[in-house]
Amino acid sequence: TANMKLILIFGALIGASLCLETFVGHQVLRIKTKNEEEVKQLQLLESLEHLELDFWINPSAPALPVDVRIPAVSVQSVKAFLESQGIEYSILIEDLQDVLDREKQDMAESAQRQRSGSFDFGAYHTLDDINSELDHLASEYSFVEKIQIGESYEKRPLYVLKFSTGGSKRPAIWLDAGIHSREWVTQASALWIANKIASDYGTDASITSLLDRMDLFLLPVANPDGFVYTHTSNRMWRKTRSKIPGSICVGVDPNRNWDAGFGGPGASNKPCSDSYHGPSANSEVEVKSVVDFIKSHGNFKAFLTLHSYSQLLMYPYGYKCTRPDDYAELESLGRAAASSIRSLYGTTFQVGTICKTIYQASGGSIDWSYDNGIKYSFAFELRDTGRYGFLLPANQIIPAAKETWLGLKKIMEHVRD
Amino acid sequence: ELPPSHFPAARAAAVALGYLRYLRGGPGRGLELRALRRARRQDIDDVGHKYYLELELEDVLDKDRTVSCTAEVLYGLGSNSSAPDVQITVQGELSSTEEADKEFYNRIRSLEKELVAENIPDSHGNVPPELEPIHLLAWAASGYVIWQNSTENTKFHLAQVKHVKQLKRSDEDLQFDYMLLLHEMVSQEVIPWEVAVLWHPQRGARVCRD
Repeated sequence: TANMKLILIFGALIGASLCLETFVGHQVLRIKTKNEEEVKQLQLLESLEHLELDFWINPSAPALPVDVRIPAVSVQSVKAFLESQGIEYSILIEDLQDVLDREKQDMAESAQRQRSGSFDFGAYHTLDDINSELDHLASEYSFVEKIQIGESYEKRPLYVLKFSTGGSKRPAIWLDAGIHSREWVTQASALWIANKIASDYGTDASITSLLDRMDLFLLPVANPDGFVYTHTSNRMWRKTRSKIPGSICVGVDPNRNWDAGFGGPGASNKPCSDSYHGPSANSEVEVKSVVDFIKSHGNFKAFLTLHSYSQLLMYPYGYKCTRPDDYAELESLGRAAASSIRSLYGTTFQVGTICKTIYQASGGSIDWSYDNGIKYSFAFELRDTGRYGFLLPANQIIPAAKETWLGLKKIMEHVRD
Repeated sequence: ELPPSHFPAARAAAVALGYLRYLRGGPGRGLELRALRRARRQDIDDVGHKYYLELELEDVLDKDRTVSCTAEVLYGLGSNSSAPDVQITVQGELSSTEEADKEFYNRIRSLEKELVAENIPDSHGNVPPELEPIHLLAWAASGYVIWQNSTENTKFHLAQVKHVKQLKRSDEDLQFDYMLLLHEMVSQEVIPWEVAVLWHPQRGARVCRD
């Protein structure tokens, strides 16, 4: 034991000379004493102040455990001492600094969650929770306002977030999500994007210059009735929930209901069909509300809409297979946006007109916006390509939102400039 | 020559992939299309349209590697023609699933009660790890259905396993009766489809009732 004590003293001198200040390599041992003799040995250890042992539970009686924090330099020698005395111990904490680092990170994340009102952007939410978060964003940022542009068929409010740093009817960008209710990654991504834009204004040069010159209108849940229905009854519901005269079937495909080649090929005239175009163009209040809002505003420069799935970035036309007048510019901008998307995680989006890329489809929103003078009209189909389809795992929401945002930003920057 | 980013080639690729999933997919292997490299179409008088495809595939359980393959998809003429004729050649080896297959087979055989499950994935996209092989076997079964029912005007994907029930058998095969939801992209319909499939580590998947 004399040798052991020499080793302990020697170890402590080295420790003192290195002047360690963090807890890297510090271990916390739990020592189980079997008798009074062993307790006495530990009390002797305690008295060696130069070891700088920090007893969390002091040695007192054989029945009670002794917890001690040991500085890194002394760990091996203390263990050797215990082993030579036949005293049992176990390691409570392998490296105290690791524990402290993780705790610090947990606290930072918790604080961040507190700040953002505990909204988990990486999870799917109900309509009520989404609307609460819209309120939260509007209250937290002076340049974000929640406005109501109309009501759904079942009388749910259609809420739009207006991002405006001033001016009077500045040139504006429109972004909507969830027009097809089962495409859950789109509503979820829209929320993340709203938070991203709001929190990055003032620090990100691109967003700041964008909002200093233009306004952004974001409709995260364009089809709230359908969305609620996907939560309560049928996860695969796509359409609105309007009653159709003369039919037992419910709902109209809101992206076949716009006044652009309405009723033409690529839409069904059967009420029970998932691509039913409805009795007439703009028959769906969810569509008419947006049309009226955009027309009365009169200064929209871009119309962007989010769908899923297939990983496509499309521009007009859908109702006809001829190229739009601005084909060259839209194709080029689309490719640039797809390139930005790919730069983050390697996700590839195909670029092209709706008609060539996916199918001929009449009555679509971006065809309407384009034919009404909004040149930069794009429709995104987000992740994935079919492995999960509409049922995209929640852990892909934020990656999908992040990459999509890069594509949207590329388009918005072009519009701004 | 067809642009790979346009839908005609994409639809033919989906048929080829469905066929291959049926032939080579199973509880331990889920084949997905990484990229469509090249596509050509040949119109054959009185016969139909034949697509020549160059595909790059990946196994969703082993995304670090890809495997190339070539496929020919012949859609017959007429609206009530039979299933498209598919020929497919895989260049190179698909990774072995022997261990995973054996483990799955033994696990299911040793269950006290027949397996029953529903909503795979669930609404939030979750698949419990022990049900992933059931999900992948459904993918293989859906491959058969997709191959048999595709035309140039359809593009099917498996949207969800609505329900699956294991049926005990006296022979060596495992049997699962699936209720699948198939998403048809052109009409946007989600169609329920019942399919019963047999599976065995050596014999692979066989649809016994569709």
